[in-house]
Amino acid sequence: MDLGTQQHVLDTVQRHGAENIIVLLGAPDPAGAEMFALTLTEGDPTYAGPLAGVSLGLRVYHILESEVRQLVDPAVYADQVGIMALALDSDAIIAMMQHMRDGQA
Amino acid sequence: MKKEPARVIHYMNQFFAGVGGEEMADIGVSFRDGPVGPGRPLETMLAGRAHVVGTVICGDNTASRGDPETLQDIITEIESHQGEILVAGPAFNAGRYGIACGAVCETVQQRLGLRTFTAMYPENPAVEQYRRSLVIVPTTSSAVGMRDALARLAVLISKTFDGTPLGPAREEGYIPHGIRRIELAQRTAAERALALLLRKIAGSGYETEVPLATYEQIVPAPPLTKLSEAIVGLVTEGGLVPIGNPDGIRHVWAKNWAAYDITGCSEFAEGQFEGVHGGFDRTWVEADPDRLLPLDIIRELAAAGIVSGVHDEFFSTVGNGTPVSTCSQFGREIAQRLLKDKVNVAILSAT
Repeated sequence: MDLGTQQHVLDTVQRHGAENIIVLLGAPDPAGAEMFALTLTEGDPTYAGPLAGVSLGLRVYHILESEVRQLVDPAVYADQVGIMALALDSDAIIAMMQHMRDGQA
Repeated sequence: MKKEPARVIHYMNQFFAGVGGEEMADIGVSFRDGPVGPGRPLETMLAGRAHVVGTVICGDNTASRGDPETLQDIITEIESHQGEILVAGPAFNAGRYGIACGAVCETVQQRLGLRTFTAMYPENPAVEQYRRSLVIVPTTSSAVGMRDALARLAVLISKTFDGTPLGPAREEGYIPHGIRRIELAQRTAAERALALLLRKIAGSGYETEVPLATYEQIVPAPPLTKLSEAIVGLVTEGGLVPIGNPDGIRHVWAKNWAAYDITGCSEFAEGQFEGVHGGFDRTWVEADPDRLLPLDIIRELAAAGIVSGVHDEFFSTVGNGTPVSTCSQFGREIAQRLLKDKVNVAILSAT
C-alpha cells in the first residue's frame, strides 16, 4: 500500500474510529490481498509508511467474498465485477481473506 | 570487559525508506542517522548487542546501474560513520533492489572488509549473481515475511558480534554459497557411500555429501546461415498489449501470455498499445512502443531485404515477479508457436 494511501487510512480512522470502519479490498491476487489486509490490521509489513507499527485491527473484506456480494445489487455487481471475478483466482483470494481474519480472531 | 555494541549500517531503497515509489527511483545516495523503516524493528531485535547507527538510502534506478561513483558515495557514508557491519534489504523479489543490495554488499566486503548481510527471495535474479560471495537470508517473495527475515538477519548479526564463525548454510539458514570445504571424516568414503545407499534402499531420509547443481544450461541457438532468409518473431516480457489489455495479463506474477496481430503494421501506433508491466515506468513505452519491441526497425530491415520478413503476431507477457518455472513454460509455448509458423529468429526484449 503506497505511503499516501496509508496516511489517508490513518486520517480516516482518527476521524471516524476503527470500530466504525470496514475496508473493502479489490486486490487482484492473494498475495496483494494479504499485503493490504496485513497493513490494515497489524500494520505496514514494509515498515516504510505511516502505518508501520500501527495495529489498526480494521475489519477487512474483499469484493469477491459472498458476504459482500450479497449486499450489492446483482446487476451492478455483474456490470462492475462480474468478468473480473471469473478472470481472477477467486477461491485463493477468498481463502486468503478468511485466513487473515481467522488470524485476527 | 563488556564489549561495545557493533555499529550496523543499514542500506535500503527509496521505497522502504519512505521517500516514495517509482517516481523517486532516480534519487542519489543520502544518509540518515539511526534506523529507518524496517531498520526500526531490526534495531529492537538486535537487543542492544548491535545498534543501527545509520541508514544509507539510494534510489533503485541509481543503485542498480552500479556506477562506480554511486558505490563510492555509499562506501564513503559507511566509512565516515564507522560502520562495522552492513545490512542491505530485505529486497524480497524486487529485481533492481536485489541487484543493488548485492552490488553494495559485495563492494563493501571487498573494499572495506566488513561483514555484510542481505536477504531476498531465492528466485530474485540477484541471488544467482551474488550467492557465492554473500550471506543472503531467504525471504518470502513479498514484504509479508518482513519480520521473519529481519529476525533471521538479527540472529546472524548477533553471532558475528559474538565472534562465532558462521556455520554451513543448511545449519544457519542462509542461501548456500555453493562452496565445498575440506573436512576430516571418521569413516572412509566407501563406508559412508554404502551407509547412504542402505538408507536410500530402506526409504529413510538421506542427504548426499555432494549436491549437484541444478541450474538449467541454456544452449545458444546455432548461428543463422542466411540473415536474408530470417523470418523475425517479436517477443517481450515487458507487458506490451493492445489498449484495454484484452487477455488480462497481470502487472505482476503473470499467469498467461498472449499473441497479437501486427499484419501490415509498419510500427506500433501510438495510442493503440499500452504497457501493463508493473515493475518499471511505462511512460516512454506507451509514447513509443517500438522502443520496447522494435517493429519499426525490423520492418525497415525487411523492406531493405536484410531480413526476409516479420511474423504476423507479436508475443507478450509480464516477467515482473513471475517465477522462473512459469517463465520457462511460457517460453516453451511461445517457441512452439514460432517454430510451427516457420519463424527462425526471435528477438526477446526484456525490461
